[in-house]
Amino acid sequence: MTSASEISFDGVSVDFGDRPALSDVSVTLTERRIGVIGSNGSGKSTFARMLNALVLPTTGQVRVHGLDPAGQAKQLRRRVGFIFSNPDAQIVMPTVAEDVAFSLRGRGLSRAEVAERVEATLEVYGLTEHSAAPAHGLSGGQKQLLALSSVLIGEPDLVVADEPTAMLDAANTRRIGNHLLDELTQQLVLVTHDLTLARRCDVVLRFEEGRLVERGEPDFVVDRYEREHA
Amino acid sequence: MIALYREGTSPLHRAPAGAKVLVFMIVALAITLSAENPFTVPVAAALAIIGYLAAGLGLGTLLAQISVVRWVIVIMLVTQLIFLPPLAAATNTGRVLAVIVLAALITLTTRIPALLDATEHALGPLRRFGVDPARIGLLLGMTITTIPVIMGIATRIRDAQRARGVPVRPATFVVPLLILSLKHSDELADALAARGID
Repeated sequence: MTSASEISFDGVSVDFGDRPALSDVSVTLTERRIGVIGSNGSGKSTFARMLNALVLPTTGQVRVHGLDPAGQAKQLRRRVGFIFSNPDAQIVMPTVAEDVAFSLRGRGLSRAEVAERVEATLEVYGLTEHSAAPAHGLSGGQKQLLALSSVLIGEPDLVVADEPTAMLDAANTRRIGNHLLDELTQQLVLVTHDLTLARRCDVVLRFEEGRLVERGEPDFVVDRYEREHA
Repeated sequence: MIALYREGTSPLHRAPAGAKVLVFMIVALAITLSAENPFTVPVAAALAIIGYLAAGLGLGTLLAQISVVRWVIVIMLVTQLIFLPPLAAATNTGRVLAVIVLAALITLTTRIPALLDATEHALGPLRRFGVDPARIGLLLGMTITTIPVIMGIATRIRDAQRARGVPVRPATFVVPLLILSLKHSDELADALAARGID
């Protein structure tokens, strides 16, 4: 990994009103698959949302692949794809193919180029037969695959997934997890409560009460987290 | 309530989206302005039947579209019957129904991106007055997409209330529907921002 795929937080704090969501986080990450774990309300989602400029620091500085979210949000969002836990909230257009194609709007591509890329992407994620179907009519797992397709067709350098399997059954969790962890070539930040997925990352960060309390080898960090929450 | 595109190769499917919308607007305007004419509803009904048949959708699809809005039609008819003679109430309701099914014919034979492109193209000249056609096109697309989501939220609320034995009343239904709809709009706004749409 070069510094072009570096994520760095330097003394970053985030306050929502009087409530601190993140306190004095400093970390530099160059690993390809970064797992983020922690209890509910620990600050892990706030950390993830900062990578796409959905949340900006109250104090401190964030750099994502050489870009500053505070001043370069538009450029950053072209390079950072974000997957949310609720697949319903990510669907913007009525049908599956239209929703995937929506990610390419404003990129100066011809209709034929858009159609070709959409077709290829839907094939990769097994959604070809649902191409003309209403997007909201898909199952939860298919909706999350649609969200993944919509993000990846934009060819981001970094994919941030905030609890992408939270609303899925075991089979779909495995399917989405495999896509994210085994098939992506991009850098991945995976926020998850599924510790099996976290163990498959290259490095794991653990947040508690808005603080980054641990960063290290996945099995070591996850084992300690499990012991403390047993 | 807004019909989704059905695959087809009919002349209506192949016609440019902008032309279809323009013709629809003219027809809708004519139906609206000719309230006194007794032939308006029969002619509009004939137009709808011909349109659905020409598009290869069949009368079953037309009836399905009417069925979707049946309660709106019933409410319209009943409220008008309080103030108007039966013929006037039926004619007014028939005109509205004709416009609804003709509008559905447009969305049934036109892909949403083509509709959005046509809208953006038509609104292009308004850019000089500060109007953003792309934003308006996006708004239309999202409105169509969001309708099934809101219906899904409404069903969940009704089911949750029934499961707890709470009778479904407007007061206990509307407030959670509003709160959950606003929550959905917040999440959707984040998803749009994440996809580079400000």
